[in-house]
Amino acid sequence: MITLTLKEPPSVPLEAEVLSPDVTAELSNDAIRALPVYLGKRQRRVDDFFDVDGASSDQITIHGDASRVKWIGRAMTRGRIRVDGNAGMHLGAYMSGGAIDVSGNASDWVGAEMSGGAIRIGGNAGGQIGAAYRGSNTGMRDGTILVGGGAGLEVGMRMKRGIIAIGGPVRDFAGLQMKGGTIVLGSGAELRTGAWMMRGTIISLRQLPLMPTFLYAATYVPGFLRIYSAYLERLGFTLPCSEQQGAYQRYTGDTSVPGKGEILIWAPRGA
Amino acid sequence: MIYWGGNPAECHPRHFTKYTLTQKGRFVPLGRKGRTMVLVDIRETPSAKAADLFLQIRPGKDFEMATALRAIVKGHPVDTALVEETGLTVAQLQDLADRMKRAKFGVIFFGMGLSMTRGKHMNSGAILTLAAEMNAFTKFVCMPMRGHGNVTGADVVLRYTTGYPFGVSLSRGFPRFNPGEFSTIDLLVRGDTDAALILGADPGATMPQPAIDHLSRIPTIVLDPKVTHTSRLARVHITTAPTGISAPGTVYRMDEVPLPLRPALASPFPTDEEVIRRIRLAVAARPAWEPPAHVTMAIA
Amino acid sequence: MLRITGGKVYDPANGIDGVIKDIYIDGGRIVAPADEGPGAEARGAKAARAIDARGMLVFPGGVDVHTHVAGGALNFARGLVPENQRAARKFLHTKDRRAGLGGMTPTTFATGYLYAGMGWTTVNEAAVPVLTAKHTHEELHDTPIVDKSALLLMANNEMVLDLLEAGEVERARHVVAWHIWAAKVYGVKAVNPGGVAAWKWGKNANALHETFEGYSTLTPAKIIADLAHIVDQLQLPHPLHLHCNNLGVPGNVATTVETMKVLEGRRAHLAHLQFHAYGGDGWSNMRSEAAAVADAFNRHTNLTCDAGAVLFGDAVTITADGPWQHLLYQLTGRKWGNLDVENETGCGIVPYVYKDRSLVNAVQWAVGLELMLLITDPWRVFLTTDHPNGGCFWRYPEIVQLLMDVEFRKEQVRRLPEAAQQRIVLGDLDRQYSLFEIAIITSAGPARALGMSNKGHLGVGADADVAIYPEQPDKDGFLFSYPRYVLKGGEIVVEEGDVIGGSEGREFIVRPEYDAAIEAYIRPLFQQAYTISFDNYPVELERLRHPEQVNLPSTPA
Repeated sequence: MITLTLKEPPSVPLEAEVLSPDVTAELSNDAIRALPVYLGKRQRRVDDFFDVDGASSDQITIHGDASRVKWIGRAMTRGRIRVDGNAGMHLGAYMSGGAIDVSGNASDWVGAEMSGGAIRIGGNAGGQIGAAYRGSNTGMRDGTILVGGGAGLEVGMRMKRGIIAIGGPVRDFAGLQMKGGTIVLGSGAELRTGAWMMRGTIISLRQLPLMPTFLYAATYVPGFLRIYSAYLERLGFTLPCSEQQGAYQRYTGDTSVPGKGEILIWAPRGA
Repeated sequence: MIYWGGNPAECHPRHFTKYTLTQKGRFVPLGRKGRTMVLVDIRETPSAKAADLFLQIRPGKDFEMATALRAIVKGHPVDTALVEETGLTVAQLQDLADRMKRAKFGVIFFGMGLSMTRGKHMNSGAILTLAAEMNAFTKFVCMPMRGHGNVTGADVVLRYTTGYPFGVSLSRGFPRFNPGEFSTIDLLVRGDTDAALILGADPGATMPQPAIDHLSRIPTIVLDPKVTHTSRLARVHITTAPTGISAPGTVYRMDEVPLPLRPALASPFPTDEEVIRRIRLAVAARPAWEPPAHVTMAIA
Repeated sequence: MLRITGGKVYDPANGIDGVIKDIYIDGGRIVAPADEGPGAEARGAKAARAIDARGMLVFPGGVDVHTHVAGGALNFARGLVPENQRAARKFLHTKDRRAGLGGMTPTTFATGYLYAGMGWTTVNEAAVPVLTAKHTHEELHDTPIVDKSALLLMANNEMVLDLLEAGEVERARHVVAWHIWAAKVYGVKAVNPGGVAAWKWGKNANALHETFEGYSTLTPAKIIADLAHIVDQLQLPHPLHLHCNNLGVPGNVATTVETMKVLEGRRAHLAHLQFHAYGGDGWSNMRSEAAAVADAFNRHTNLTCDAGAVLFGDAVTITADGPWQHLLYQLTGRKWGNLDVENETGCGIVPYVYKDRSLVNAVQWAVGLELMLLITDPWRVFLTTDHPNGGCFWRYPEIVQLLMDVEFRKEQVRRLPEAAQQRIVLGDLDRQYSLFEIAIITSAGPARALGMSNKGHLGVGADADVAIYPEQPDKDGFLFSYPRYVLKGGEIVVEEGDVIGGSEGREFIVRPEYDAAIEAYIRPLFQQAYTISFDNYPVELERLRHPEQVNLPSTPA
């Protein structure tokens, strides 16, 4: 286990893509300390900002308020990162394996363009979760992202596969231009959910304002939901799927594209 | 022509007469009578007087209306009730779509009523996509109605020198782009910078309070012909000659046509260019800092 | 004084084919050897530096006769594809070099470094609209090291087309000449004649001998013939540079061959000929007609061409051919940018990926190579990819390998889908290019076609633009990818693969003769049709920091 304790939050953003299991797996303690991080435009050392314990491990723990530390876990393929505190932008971007756990909050671009692995955020996250970077055709290609709290704009924008589940409220454009995969909105979302969707499934446990290009299809409990529900239950996320409790209103769209996506809105029995 | 989310009569006062509505063109010999002008806005501004058709849309519904239009143009179904939440009916949108298809040459001009309201770049994206898709039926183009100053010129020059139009960071020695991360308001609101040089803008007058507070805290330098709101909270203000009046250069029109500026009056103050050159030379003469020789990882 | 000693020199313009000899450079030019001729002692005494080129190949600097690297269309493309910029090669800011991004639409500084880094030292920007020429010149100025020239878009200029329709070719000549000097350029470009004017109506000009929207009798053929005539009359160093009608369309071989007939008796340069050599009548049966095009081309000795070859991988299509680009947008269903330039031209941008599994793309890949192998005279066919349309210019070394190594080439053909192999002839072609011929198609030939007498060769008086390559390719195995040294105007700009700075390069321009009274004709028409002031239209000579005016036979004093 490698333990990094942030001495104090950096004055401007710190870019620390070296904080990745792939980088630290074979390195000595001295080598880890000397890894380059970027404070604004200046190249510095990891140990200018962190106390470093341990060596040669793909298990990393970070203590402290790292909300200004960007690119933690970038492109990782293995191992585990635990952040006991907050994490900055681009957490786990491009990752393809391994796991990241953040006890506090994360920022924008969590899991951007990732293709595998799992990210869990205990608190809130920012926008563009599992999304495509600007101009890019495709976002998340696979993997799992779970956020206990709320999230910002463009969650799952242009994602192709994988699961994103957000417990708290989500802002506009969740599932924008989605191509596939699943987004679960535990507390619903604000405007324009599923806008310009091509394929994929958005499941909302609260009522949602919808785009005029989504059409009501049916009310039922889709069979595949039981599988998703079991999977998410193991991860601590509850997805109702019993006909005793209620059913899902299914809307298809976005007809402007035209897309074959679906939004499933939970309607509890007796509501 | 469709003006959407803008008030050209007041904000771009020569637009109608010089470019769009009243000019007699070789292929529009009747001038105004040969054109149909549609205004889409949340309130009836003076521009509505010039419109053949004014569509009053509810605030915050432009994205929905443009998306619904995309579906209607293609003959795809929409939800009637949800369309009506925009303040317009399906019938009105169908009528607009039909008029657009019947045009020989259509154009949508969209303004800050779209790009600066909830949805931002997606509002602009919706209009641009609508115009692109209209080309399956007839010739259609689309243009943003840009703000004052040489904002287009800055966009053009940034693009050819850095590859990106705005929100550019050079902190890693090469250009990177990420609106929301490197764009000005976001940097200032989050307090991600420890110095600022302001040229040709007055954020102290226009930006959210947290951004202004941050500018007051850090060393801020202002270059401007006038003492501005930002100057008053800055560490240094340098008065420079006003571009176009006393300083030469090139300005780019909204459609990226370059035009030369021929200054008419002398000024006792240096140009922005002279000041920046001198600052740059002074910084280069300082030996304290070397940029890193390598990028250790392909950060993007 | 600089000496390059012991290298194997390829200088086709002077008949030198791999001869080991020394090259002498002084004052930015190739000079006679130090130990010969008058003043020899004085020269010998000045010999300051020697480059040991033993075991290396010495070439005249590359000349790219057709590329899109500067101006409004290219800059629009940059904005359209930030994802490409993210993936592009990064140029870090150093004491000697500016920051930049390579990739498919390189930033200006990076463009100069990428070309020089490959040994190319002269670049011809193939498409400039008059209205935005100031912008093009600003970008060219910011493109370091290489010398530049630029071609002016004229074949959809409505003032010119009106004159041609009225049969006033003489007056049109003065108007064209006036525009060339107004824009401060080197030559004339014609793109899809009539088609881009028709695109203002959402239409195209698909038939050479039929009129098009907005006109009643004028045909693309007449525009082509008249413009070629005008360029010849003006005695411009480079002939009319033509992007034929029906680019990219299956079956367009007929248009291309017919265009060659229209051009009989005139000089002309056919651009990116690969895109104009297709048979079939639809995407499902599209095939190569490179043999037919090459055959017609070989017979028409008044013509030169550039290949416009395709390479598998990412590209960005950028052309003034607005209607074609809209079609490509409908085919790909992804991004599209379109710009109309009032009264003059337009442009369309569509990012595109050439896939070796696609039958159409496989045929395109083959056609470019087939043309270069079936056209017999290397002095008339030049190596380009119509950058960035067919592929990026910094991948030219890959094409060189395909031309020089028949086994490697046939192996690539065998990897294509079986159905594609039935539609091409590339697998049957055994010709291999020699280094001498490569030097022709990448340097000597384009320099001659551009009329640049001091470029493309290493004879006395030539500009000292020299590329020195290791005899055996290293790293990824492409000759030309990593020159050991590159000199530009006698200055070493690349050493051991690293760009070490260099000066700003010149822009070649011409001032053709025209009757000054033509301005009285142009001004009122301009003020009526354009939305800017006539006085703001021409490019000020001062805007070009390093112009070099090339004298024409009849240049006014």
